[in-house]
Amino acid sequence: MLRDRVTSPTKTSPAGERLEEGIVLAVQDLWVEYRTRAGMMQAVRGVTFDVRAGESIALIGESGSGKSTLGLALLGLLARTARVAQGAARFRTKDGDTLNLLALHNEQMRRFRWQECAMVFQSALNALNPVLRVADHFQDTARAHGQREDARTRARAAELLRMVQLDPDRVLPAFPHELSGGMRQRVSIALGLLLEPQLLILDEPTTALDILTQRMIIDVIRALRQRLQFTMLFISHDLSLAAELADRVATMYAGQIVEIGPVREVFYAPKHPYTVGLLDAVPPIAGDEFTPLTSIPGSPPNLLDIPPGCPFHPRCRYATEICARQAPPLERVAEDHYTACFHHDQVDRNRPFAGGTQ
Amino acid sequence: MNDPLLAFESVRREFVTRRGRIHAVDDISLAIEQGEILCLVGESGSGKTTMARMAAGLLRPTSGVVRYAGRDLSAMTKAETKTYRRAVQIVHQDPYASLNPVHTIGETLRAPLLHHHLVRGRRQADDRAAELLSQVELTPPENFLTKHPHQLSGGQRQRVSIARALALNPRIIIADEAVSMVDVSIRVSLLNTMLRLRDELGVTFLFITHDLAVVKYFAWEGNVGVMYVGNLVEYGRTPQVIGTPLHPYTRALIAAIPEADPDMTQAKEKLQLRSIEIPNLLALPTGCVFHPRCPLFVPGLCDSVAPVFMDVGEGRDVACHVVARERGRIAMDDAAGCAGERATA
Repeated sequence: MLRDRVTSPTKTSPAGERLEEGIVLAVQDLWVEYRTRAGMMQAVRGVTFDVRAGESIALIGESGSGKSTLGLALLGLLARTARVAQGAARFRTKDGDTLNLLALHNEQMRRFRWQECAMVFQSALNALNPVLRVADHFQDTARAHGQREDARTRARAAELLRMVQLDPDRVLPAFPHELSGGMRQRVSIALGLLLEPQLLILDEPTTALDILTQRMIIDVIRALRQRLQFTMLFISHDLSLAAELADRVATMYAGQIVEIGPVREVFYAPKHPYTVGLLDAVPPIAGDEFTPLTSIPGSPPNLLDIPPGCPFHPRCRYATEICARQAPPLERVAEDHYTACFHHDQVDRNRPFAGGTQ
Repeated sequence: MNDPLLAFESVRREFVTRRGRIHAVDDISLAIEQGEILCLVGESGSGKTTMARMAAGLLRPTSGVVRYAGRDLSAMTKAETKTYRRAVQIVHQDPYASLNPVHTIGETLRAPLLHHHLVRGRRQADDRAAELLSQVELTPPENFLTKHPHQLSGGQRQRVSIARALALNPRIIIADEAVSMVDVSIRVSLLNTMLRLRDELGVTFLFITHDLAVVKYFAWEGNVGVMYVGNLVEYGRTPQVIGTPLHPYTRALIAAIPEADPDMTQAKEKLQLRSIEIPNLLALPTGCVFHPRCPLFVPGLCDSVAPVFMDVGEGRDVACHVVARERGRIAMDDAAGCAGERATA
């Protein structure tokens, strides 16, 4: 099978070498596929990016973009039908060692999770054990990682719960089903931070929550990052969440990163037609005028039958003959800003931003 | 004067659960005129879906009346009920659950046509089904008639659901979170299609959603009702309600919505609520249901007297003591005095 190599937007060295300081995670040419009855389905197709220490990076994409599969692959949580076909993911631990995440055996992976990297899932009800009280979730997690002092764990749990604006006296003795969706999501976040991981991965942290609860979670995450300084990778279909919380944004389409750059670059000077299309499709709440919006024509691709060349070309208004033949590499378009489009110099988002203020 | 196409008159709906009685909808009056768009917006537990189900005749109100073209739904004759059932169609939230997976799109669309004798024979049914698919922009229709739902994307399935609703030439479409599960890149085109149908076919829309940005886009020329735990707290023309929300709950909602614009969203002024927890539906707060969270809370008033949903001028209706006072509709002392009387009585 022909796989188009993507030029690396990173400065990291090839797989196997030590990660330099300042890089927490380096993903290189990662391919993940699912075995289905209809054939092999490629969910992640050659993804390369770095996560820098202390930053907040958003992976934005629609259903089938591969964003969640990518998150699961990094933590060794892929379904049985999925496998990493190719690529590397290296992680710099707290004491400066480099781990190859895709080659960890069970015991190493078990230690890596929670201590180095924790994940918060969309559905906090499924992520918490329904027959365990909240307090026991904290105790079990701590004990499984060799912390025997229950009193200390309890104090730390209470402190974290207060940081996410929950009352420990009320929440610790409760079972998950006794809490609201927003409370459970905050418990998951507090639990994720218990062993002071360097990296917190959040998969759709606000999806399916009510607006006021979403706002609460956004504000809590922002305050936690200011206080605890962890690195954050979050996965969402929601562009406005990236606008709120990300330092850098990567747009994913059909298993690939098609654009990556600083948040203001990606929002105010997007260079991939798909990013532009997504931004133009979001109705703003601000502004006193009605702005007719346009969608991206067509539908997201079937992952069993991904269009050749640039996977976005059948939906793209800039597409020319080359786009159907050749996959565009990620190219640098501005400082720290990369995009995979042959026609990026023509791409210009001229619609003013929400309410015409930008 | 003509009757509104659909009207709720002092409608209440209770549900009895093992743990007690839930007031899902508490005394709401609303009307939709022919060809209009009315959006009901609210968070989970607001009662918006209960309203949709009562409008569709799937639930009876515990008290109050739902009228279609002036006729009380619960007092309709059999023939009237049949007309009404054809005139009111629903598009559900989940396009993966609302289409029968073993039927082709053609079969799904032909069934109601044949059942209601709107067409004669298979040939006419096919022609009409093709026409319906074109109306929802699934073109060319031949490509879709023989397909099964699993061969379509979520957005395409939702278009089939709309085509099926259109099959019976409805006068009202009730859309319950109809675009919530559709990907961002195609959500707007679905809304655009529904707006076009309203213009071309004069279909009335009762549109239920939790997303105020979608309300702003879809109901810009219509009305919006904001619901909170079974109560209608604000109602008015969409540009006014979204541009200058009056009720503190609407203000909080609009202030809370993140924008897809980093500078703007981070600079946006937030409204701090006194509490973030949604009240327990089994034990609603006394007085105004929003008072435990409300930043404008006036002790002794808001926690003892439920505010009246009233016209506060400029075609705006709000249920809030403080807004009513600010807009000169009611003297605060009177309201407080009234609260005092009630407390001593």
